[in-house]
Amino acid sequence: MFAIRDSEHMANIARAALENALRDRKLDRTLTTALPALERVDEGAVVPVDVAAIDRCLQGGVPRGHLSEIAGPNSSGRTTLLLHLMSAATRRGEIVALVDTLDRLDVASVAAAGIDLDRLLWIRGRPQDPGLRPQCESQTDPSWGLRPGPWALLDRALKALNLVLQAGGFGVVAIDLADVPASTLTQIPFTTWMRVQRVIEGSDTACLIVASEPLSRSSGGLTMALAGRTTWAGASSRSRRLSGLDVRVRVMSPRRRVDGEAEVRALADDARPQGPGLGPQGWASHEALALRPRTALRPEA
Amino acid sequence: MFGALYAAEGTPPGMLADVAREFSPRIDIRSDRDVVLDLSGVTRLFGHARTIAEELRRTAADRRLRVRVAIAGTRIAARLLVRHRAGLTVIEPGTEAAALAPLPIALLGEIDPERVNSQLPTPNSQRSSKLGIGNWELGVGPVFRQWGIRTLGELAALPSDDLAARLGDDGLAWQRLACGEDPHPLVPSLPEERFSQSLDLEWPIDELEPLSFVLGRLMEPLSTHLERRDRGAAVLHVRLHLVRIDDTTPAVHERSLQLPVPMRDARTLRTLALLDLESNPPPAPIDRVEVAVDPTPGRIVQYSLLTRALPTPERLSTLMARLHALMGETRCGAPALVDSWRPGAFEMKSFAPVDANLIDRSKASGLRPQASGLGQDLRPRPALGPEPWALSPTAKRPVLALRRFRHPIPVRVRIQDARPDYIAIDRRGMSGGSIESCAGPWRTAGDWWREGWDRDEWDVTVRGGTTFRLFRARDTERWFVEGVVD
Repeated sequence: MFAIRDSEHMANIARAALENALRDRKLDRTLTTALPALERVDEGAVVPVDVAAIDRCLQGGVPRGHLSEIAGPNSSGRTTLLLHLMSAATRRGEIVALVDTLDRLDVASVAAAGIDLDRLLWIRGRPQDPGLRPQCESQTDPSWGLRPGPWALLDRALKALNLVLQAGGFGVVAIDLADVPASTLTQIPFTTWMRVQRVIEGSDTACLIVASEPLSRSSGGLTMALAGRTTWAGASSRSRRLSGLDVRVRVMSPRRRVDGEAEVRALADDARPQGPGLGPQGWASHEALALRPRTALRPEA
Repeated sequence: MFGALYAAEGTPPGMLADVAREFSPRIDIRSDRDVVLDLSGVTRLFGHARTIAEELRRTAADRRLRVRVAIAGTRIAARLLVRHRAGLTVIEPGTEAAALAPLPIALLGEIDPERVNSQLPTPNSQRSSKLGIGNWELGVGPVFRQWGIRTLGELAALPSDDLAARLGDDGLAWQRLACGEDPHPLVPSLPEERFSQSLDLEWPIDELEPLSFVLGRLMEPLSTHLERRDRGAAVLHVRLHLVRIDDTTPAVHERSLQLPVPMRDARTLRTLALLDLESNPPPAPIDRVEVAVDPTPGRIVQYSLLTRALPTPERLSTLMARLHALMGETRCGAPALVDSWRPGAFEMKSFAPVDANLIDRSKASGLRPQASGLGQDLRPRPALGPEPWALSPTAKRPVLALRRFRHPIPVRVRIQDARPDYIAIDRRGMSGGSIESCAGPWRTAGDWWREGWDRDEWDVTVRGGTTFRLFRARDTERWFVEGVVD
């Protein structure tokens, strides 16, 4: 009985010593429960998303000097939210960077989001999809034939992220891991995100991970968990079009305590000529534009 | 005492300056044909002024140059005399005004007294606030002609008070020139310097790591030299002399780096050179290293306390070089739209953000308080339903983003009532299923004269909630997923 109590006492002492050592090295967010509160009293300490409801939940915006996450399934508004955040940052004169692991970024969407393209550093990984090859790229990219595995792609993306963060000076740096297979993501050592957090600690950079599931665990600043539902307009099937996306944002603290919820609506681009769609460009050739009716065509039999 | 050399037309550049430098280190190169020398103290070496003039002319003749030589107490007097009189002209110091008096006043329009030296731009039509001398033809020249003044002596004899009352400081400045008074001290033209360093290696180097130490040793004095001259490197040349292994081995491996901005930081230059050599390694061991730069005037940066600073160009260049080495040359940069209707068309350009100081202040300031939502009630409150996305008048309304598959993914689609009804995707991590909502098709085509596109596009939402953009290639009747609305 007494022997058990002594061993428990020794274990508690050892645990306390370990936690103190981790706290001294600022690694305490992994194991301890007493997290220091994020101080976001200074407006310069956050990157506003430029959406009132979300900024209220975030207490002003995404914290600088911290690793945060945008997590959600497909069509939940992750990319829309990220591009909107970057758009707001570039309009304030900041520069932003995106490590695009699988080369998923649509430049037309970037331009439509209002991002100053000159202020976006786009680091493109390599697509894994062996589908239809665009003619333009196959001629310009000499290494097109290389097919690196998902881990090699992820490894390079993480190295690129580290380089950008260490260079400093960026307002927002994001890494897109949304379509990386879960089996590959599980191979990332948990210390990776701790190192990322240490790199940006005290800097003006807000680092964001875009993924299907929260990845950075307790090393992250905040997690925005998204859920989305597309909305459609048009009464008849021929006039039907994609009108927007209702996004539900749950902001969670590093310890998974829900800080707040918000629901926002992203709208499809109405500036697109003659009808529904997503991007501002690339919808029609000139002759098709002239002939396109306002409603959809009936498919050929 | 100053001398002026005036060469015949067609004189090769630099020849006249070489002649002048044999007599004095302090020369002012006005043009390839017009050079001014400071001859103070030269009489001890060459003798009297006339002797110096004869020596100048003889030295030029040895180089097959036909020159006029004038020596006077002031530079402006020497320059005016050398343009008017052929051969040798020597006047005693203090007699400049008398010597210049018979010269035509039009000579003043031929010289350029405003320009300090040849390295500075020539003010052609604007008044200089520093010296108060304006352009002759557009300023006082026509006035003097209208007054009937034909010689420099007549201009020098005008009453200064009346001249100032009519023409201001400009008139007085031209009158002083007519009297042979210099407007400013001579600013000598510096000879063009070569910024290079080299090192012969005792043992050949065949790896980049030891080469980095050699490059660091070469870059340090080069950087110091550039800093002393207030110059930066516009182009960095690295020449590696190689050990001949066989007949196919080149003798020299040369790389030239075009730097985005003038820079002279030794570590940055070394890192850039190394990263470039990592991508383009020499094919054989190195036994001699040469580093040279093309100099350019140093960069002047005005920082601001009001805007967030960008990374320095040196740091940005290093970052881009590292990223290019890691990801590939064409995989990093800033995206740019192209003038094309082709879906997904874009191009990459170099990432060179403009400093925020150059952005309109009204655009850069005043955004943060409104955009951040600070100053408002930031306490979380229950959502009352979807609200409009935009926050402030300056905030931009977002557009639904698309995650584009750079290679469209082939899928199988079941059609019912001429509309997609079911989609099957043979791709891990992507789930298809029955289609709940769809819109389309939108027919697009283009670039028919080459390998273009011709397709019908659909927006579909499958049962799991994922919204895809599909298209059917009309030529092959195959279906593809182009992207996911996200």
